[in-house]
Amino acid sequence: MTEKLITKYLELTDANKIDVFESKDGYSRIQKVLKELKPEEVVDEVKKSNLRGLGGAGFSTGMKWSFIPKDGKKPVYLVCNCDEAEPGTFKDRHIVTSTPHLLLEGMMIAAFAVNAHKAYIFIRGEYERPYERLAKAVEEAYAKGYLGKNIFGSGYDLDIVVHQGAGAYICGEESALLEALEGKKGWPRLKPPFPAVVGLFGCPTVINNVETLSYLPLVMQGGADWFSKLAGEEKSGGTRLFCVSGHVNKPGIYELPVDTTLRSLIYDHAGGIRGGKQLKAVVPGGISAPILSAEEIDVKMDFDSLRAAGTMAGSGGVMVMDEDTNMVEALMVASRFFAHESCGQCSPCREGSAWLYKIVKRINEGEGRVEDLDSMLSIAGNISGTTICALGDAAAMPVTSYIKKFRSDFEDYISDCHLPVETQS
Amino acid sequence: MPKVTIDGHEIEVSQGTTIMQATKQLAIEVPYYCWHPGLSVAGNCRMCLVDVEGPPKPQIACYTQVTEGMVVHTQSEKAKKARKGTLEFLLSNHPLDCPVCDQAGECDLQNFYMDHGQYDSRFDEQKHKKKKAQPVGENVMLDQERCVLCSRCVRFCDEITGTGELGIVNRGSHEEITVFPGKEVNNAYSGNVVDICPVGALTDRDFRFKCRVWYLSSQDSVCPGCSQGCNIRIDSNLSRPQHGEGERVMRLKPRENLNVNDYWMCDEGRYNYNFIDRNRIQTASRVKEGVVEEILFEDAVDSLASVLGDAVREQRHGRIGVLVSTQLTNEDLFFVKKFFKTNLGMDAVESRFSFPEGSSDDFLIKADKSPNTAGAQALEVIASGTYQSGEDLIDKTIAGEFDVLISFGVDIDGLLGKEKLDAILEKVTLLAYVGSNHNETSKKAQLVIPSTVYAEKDGTFTNVHGRVQRIWPAFPPLGQARPEWQIICDLSEKTGFSVSADDAESIFSEITQTVSSFQGLSYEKLGKEGSLLSTVKETVEK
Amino acid sequence: MEIPEELKKKWDEAVARYEEKRAALLPVLRLSQDHFGYISAEVEEAVAHYMGTTPVHIREVVTFYELFHTKPVGKNNIQFCHTLACNLNGCEPLIKQLKEKIGIKEGETSSDGKYSFSRAECLGACEMAPMMKINKDIYGPLDKDKLNEIIENL
Repeated sequence: MTEKLITKYLELTDANKIDVFESKDGYSRIQKVLKELKPEEVVDEVKKSNLRGLGGAGFSTGMKWSFIPKDGKKPVYLVCNCDEAEPGTFKDRHIVTSTPHLLLEGMMIAAFAVNAHKAYIFIRGEYERPYERLAKAVEEAYAKGYLGKNIFGSGYDLDIVVHQGAGAYICGEESALLEALEGKKGWPRLKPPFPAVVGLFGCPTVINNVETLSYLPLVMQGGADWFSKLAGEEKSGGTRLFCVSGHVNKPGIYELPVDTTLRSLIYDHAGGIRGGKQLKAVVPGGISAPILSAEEIDVKMDFDSLRAAGTMAGSGGVMVMDEDTNMVEALMVASRFFAHESCGQCSPCREGSAWLYKIVKRINEGEGRVEDLDSMLSIAGNISGTTICALGDAAAMPVTSYIKKFRSDFEDYISDCHLPVETQS
Repeated sequence: MPKVTIDGHEIEVSQGTTIMQATKQLAIEVPYYCWHPGLSVAGNCRMCLVDVEGPPKPQIACYTQVTEGMVVHTQSEKAKKARKGTLEFLLSNHPLDCPVCDQAGECDLQNFYMDHGQYDSRFDEQKHKKKKAQPVGENVMLDQERCVLCSRCVRFCDEITGTGELGIVNRGSHEEITVFPGKEVNNAYSGNVVDICPVGALTDRDFRFKCRVWYLSSQDSVCPGCSQGCNIRIDSNLSRPQHGEGERVMRLKPRENLNVNDYWMCDEGRYNYNFIDRNRIQTASRVKEGVVEEILFEDAVDSLASVLGDAVREQRHGRIGVLVSTQLTNEDLFFVKKFFKTNLGMDAVESRFSFPEGSSDDFLIKADKSPNTAGAQALEVIASGTYQSGEDLIDKTIAGEFDVLISFGVDIDGLLGKEKLDAILEKVTLLAYVGSNHNETSKKAQLVIPSTVYAEKDGTFTNVHGRVQRIWPAFPPLGQARPEWQIICDLSEKTGFSVSADDAESIFSEITQTVSSFQGLSYEKLGKEGSLLSTVKETVEK
Repeated sequence: MEIPEELKKKWDEAVARYEEKRAALLPVLRLSQDHFGYISAEVEEAVAHYMGTTPVHIREVVTFYELFHTKPVGKNNIQFCHTLACNLNGCEPLIKQLKEKIGIKEGETSSDGKYSFSRAECLGACEMAPMMKINKDIYGPLDKDKLNEIIENL
């Protein structure tokens, strides 16, 4: 069986408590780092580990850190992105609920590496109980002197503040997150400059996802070589937490090497399709990711392989659809999500996402016309690549992939003109 | 200094120049809604997407800075598709109520549709219902359905006036521009949000349904409302008089002048135009045996000329006083001074008045509500020592020093009250009023000669910072009105002096030759933006 | 509107955690909502004054985020997720059942103030689909009977 790195803590009873966490190597990695390494050595080690941004972008974590200006006069901030809102994704919730100290230890390592003395955790507003756990963990860490001045007697200072969001998917986009953290609407910023240069309060800022940060203690403990080789020869290092939901027998979190195939994830780990049914389609990386048909699931789950397959690894949220799935309704749900979550700042996404939803809703209600399908492809094409942030592309990708891969489903639905069993009222 | 090639034209620009700024330098048109030169870059409308070689996606011209060797195409298929797509999005929920929209004819949705759209509508869904015709201030009407959410108005209230009355509430396609309940856009510059609204979302309540914009003629001018001299445009309706109840001026709009007013003007100036068409003195008149009677313009001039001629002949010209308003142009003031002081040899010519100070701020609004106080100072339209001010001269009139008082546009009643005016009338044998609009002074003056308003004049004003700026006639004078300098020419001719000119420009040329601070200036040099007096060295004009 | 001292103190504490005062806006609004139950126009004005901005700019933030209420909500604020994983697992019949059971439509609060119901986009618990959130707690995977039982025990 495979290595269980984060899962080891997720499965540990009371790992949210600091003493339990410490009994399982907790906070030993940061102490070792503070004692033995220079910040740039941490950066190098993480670069070598091939740890990628597991929030969805898949960018090399060490590389991202290295963009922070070296001799800047301004303070550097570390921000943990716990605005987990990509449908299909729930790993961060489990981490902050079950093993918040693992995240804090990871943040300490990251903050030390980029020379930050203040870090924020932006947790989505809906995560109320997870927030309480996290806030409690921060309190415990302060009480033990693990946060604040001169942590672990190293002379290094670090403060962590937990900031609750207020309900907006767009705040997962890192510049929108910074805006929200500064007390504004979550409107993504124009780039460049990127946050590494001008981020929170106009200062250089590193923004990393919860899972990425939580891997850091394990990377430092096992070493970059060990971690990077967990997944064979892939350029993405190690393992990651895959969130499986939908029509599977065992929905949940599976920590696997990133060279695991989608087929193996669904059938070997998540228990296969519920009720012995046939697989129809899979969304492999959160609702934004282009859908894959049942024939395409032999793809490996790392960032590069999924990209080569025309989709994306994204947030690791795998949503499985069985043979009975109504693709029209599924696309309507996806389009409704993006129309609802478009921040409204730029016109193609604001107007386009709402327009797409109106059309697919009409089709779902039995009022569709075959020409609607080409209109939707064209509208999605016009949103794609013209917006301030990636939400526009995200709204377009399901439309394009569902219609291209399941066009006959849409055409049959339109010609049969039948009403769905349950429409939204 | 990076070089960029746009549509095949190479240009070297300074570091930090955006593609938008570079296209402007090359006179290449890239459409936009949210960008405005006077506001921060928002980059939200996505209408200015252009095709930059290298990146796979089109880039917004307003934000993307030029880099060395950058190659930009504004007319490639990629750029055209991006613009067309964006425009289709912006119009998807637009109500298309152009027939009842004041913006029609100067709307960038209409304009860009013709240039960049030209598609058949395929939006077949229910459009968003939002609030229409909602007053959001004394001057501003909001139509949320027409709004493209470019945020220019919001940025104006945040960045220019700092009053922050407008915001975009809700999220996504439910967004709308609004004011907070109970609050209004009533800052001193509110009309500007209408100007910068690229569509018909914010319209001017004063202009509402008054005239279709395609009937308007425009003339550049300078606001006479205070000494800042904001550059403006006079929009008048001459072709369809029935639409404006015979009134010509439909609205004033600010005109860009980065030295004076950037792109803006205050509401006080903007809505100060009714006097151009209302309450005008259109014919000469005199009071004969207590009754006002209209007379020919020439007879009025003859009558005044003969009074002046007699006085000069009888060496009584020291008993004539002249009050001059600083609403007059430099050319008018110069001729008034030249005729009365130089030719007639009088001393009591005064343009200095202590008008009660009006509202002011640290931006454009000045307390001195005359457009040409600095001009009168530079031209020294003042008495030489004996009199301290216009008020002093009036007091001396009441004390019996003058037999004749001539007012060029100074409303004595408005300035000092009825008592002083009546006291003057008891002392003088003649109070003559040369002016454009009726007031208590004109009503009681024994002789009235109609003059033009600034909108009917050619000439110059000198603003508070010493900037000399042109005004141009937007339309012919009403009735018998003539510019003051012409009235002076007529008086001069009748009294045997040689103050004459063919036009305002020749007077200006004479000023530049005789008044040192005007040296080196000419109408050509003033151009559209004016020039500083040579005596003004360094100044912060705004 | 006069802000009670205890709340004002909490605002100040929130502000102290940040480098810039404005950054405390989301916490300040959350604290205000916890205190008053919702964010009224008067609260927006008070917050604007406190933050040194105009009320419309506070309203922009309040109306942008899903979790701020501009009117009172019920004692049990039920948010039912209807995004993909929940949809695939049959949330729609359950939503219908819920609405019938508590007798209100989406976005409404029952007249006795006991329930509010709204649909929610993904609440980050897809492994529990179909799921809902009542106040601070999440419930799932739901079926007809479990839903009934949970509502009846409220």
